[in-house]
Amino acid sequence: MVNDAMVNDAMVTGGGGPVLKAERLCKRFGGVVASDQIDFNLERGEMRCVIGPNGAGKSTFFALLCGILPPDSGRVILKGRDVTHLPAFRRVRMGLGLTFQTNRAFHALTVAENLETARRASASASGAADDAHFRAAFGAFDLAASSHLPARELPHHQLQWLEICMALRRGPDVLLLDEPTAGMSPGETMYTADVLKTLSREGLALIVVEHDVAFVRKVAETVTVLHQGSVFAEGPVEVITQREDVRQIYLGRTREAAA
Amino acid sequence: MMRMLQLLNGPHDLGRGRGFWSGMVLLAAAFLAYPTIASSFSATNVAYYLLNIPMALGLSLLWGYGGVLSFGQVAFYGIAGYTYGIVAGNLQDFAWGTEAGVLAALLAAGLSAAAFGYFLFYGRVAAWIVPILTLVLALLLATFLGLTAGYQWRVGDIQLGGYNGMTGIPALQIGGLTFQDYAFFYLVVAIVAICYVALRIWVNAHRGQVLMAIREDVLRTELLGYDVRLEQLRVFVIASVLAGVSGLLYVQWGNYITPSAMGLQQAALPVIWVAVGGRDSLLAVAIATFLLNQLTYILSSGGNQSALVIVGALLVAVMMFAPEGIIAGLGRLHWLHWLRARRRAVPSGPASSGK
Repeated sequence: MVNDAMVNDAMVTGGGGPVLKAERLCKRFGGVVASDQIDFNLERGEMRCVIGPNGAGKSTFFALLCGILPPDSGRVILKGRDVTHLPAFRRVRMGLGLTFQTNRAFHALTVAENLETARRASASASGAADDAHFRAAFGAFDLAASSHLPARELPHHQLQWLEICMALRRGPDVLLLDEPTAGMSPGETMYTADVLKTLSREGLALIVVEHDVAFVRKVAETVTVLHQGSVFAEGPVEVITQREDVRQIYLGRTREAAA
Repeated sequence: MMRMLQLLNGPHDLGRGRGFWSGMVLLAAAFLAYPTIASSFSATNVAYYLLNIPMALGLSLLWGYGGVLSFGQVAFYGIAGYTYGIVAGNLQDFAWGTEAGVLAALLAAGLSAAAFGYFLFYGRVAAWIVPILTLVLALLLATFLGLTAGYQWRVGDIQLGGYNGMTGIPALQIGGLTFQDYAFFYLVVAIVAICYVALRIWVNAHRGQVLMAIREDVLRTELLGYDVRLEQLRVFVIASVLAGVSGLLYVQWGNYITPSAMGLQQAALPVIWVAVGGRDSLLAVAIATFLLNQLTYILSSGGNQSALVIVGALLVAVMMFAPEGIIAGLGRLHWLHWLRARRRAVPSGPASSGK
């Protein structure tokens, strides 16, 4: 493993410690090590992209962070609290929002009902009063006009946007997005990138798992590259995407011209 | 109050608007007027066709709206029936004996469902196993109660009675009023109406939306911050208490209950009523339950041994040709036309964002 180029951004940004932190996370499925001693820090207001080739362990890492899977060892710390053994819904109530790789809004409910379902997820709302990020995204994605429509009638990209709005509805501190622009046109992808960047500038911490290099270039400051279940490289986006070894495992030779 | 009416008229069941509700009021009036033209025998029969509706509505809520199929709702039907028989029978000398019986029966159904449901849902039992486990619960109870013949199997003065069941169960008495004949008919009509209205408000309120969200996508709902286990347990208990309501009404009707009320045949029937009607419409389920109970009753009281075969064949046909359910299917067709016509007339619907 080549970990030499790890740039520890946590030291630079500072300010009350990381909002989400993973310590030596391990997960294996039978003989496959899907997650191997992953250390990870996300600061408040940071926009982090996680990239890596297929099978690099991105989805497992995502599932470990939000609590869909329990780790074999290691810890997950959300806002200074050890949440390793908390079920997913409790982590969400503490201030984690997320969307899935495949679109999973509730198709039988209307847009308004989807958002209402997201808003009222628990009586004990931790940061629910602060829905500034939600209002910003809801306005930017222009969903108000479709409020009364069943979600199944929305076009694909608006469904993705609706899911982002649902994840933001209760004012999370950290937003985890798994390939939020999958299936979008280049124009829609870039627009989504703009909106997410604005949210990040307004103080939201984001982790985006993404394949689309153009998108990553546009939004990310720091990029984490996963390979074979562990952190292969981490650092500023322009440094990472120029590295030859990263190109070889991730971008591939055929993409060199484009990179 | 206005909010309640709005929820009652909400979109998650067939039928909306002034015309529909006028029809419902007329229907209720027709039921209330029925005893003036019918003998007490026919009124009691009609009450019998109606009394399973609470159990069917509960299963519709659990399965159609919540996506959890229970094949053993009759277990709670039987628990309520037997509990009522034991408590009301032992307290026959007291004026409030039968009321205590009702309370005990509903508590027994609710608590046993809470205990059983806790292991189902907090144990994260896979969705397809739930029908098997609930059916096993019903069959275990039926088998156990079948073994309780003899004088040694008694609670207080009441014998459980083995396969012959418990007989001589007293009818509900409030003050000087005994709920028999016409009074029983009115009681059943009132309870069915209350159950329908309450559940229709429930499915259109926030809790109902959460239920449908869970049906569509368990993980997504959990990751919005919902405790899915708790939501499922809650609706399981509600459905089981409703099954208990039907069980209570059943023992009022016949003054007896036998273990076969929890047997395999009886366990299958609620699933058939709900599936044939259309499981995600309370109204369709209520109508189908009424009609199928009437059909079964008429077929079997005419000496026809094949009532169950016919009802079973109906289920197979529905699953193959109208998996949404016959009544819900017909209803949707009708309302779809109505909606389209309306949408053309009014181009933009109400646009209220989540507030």
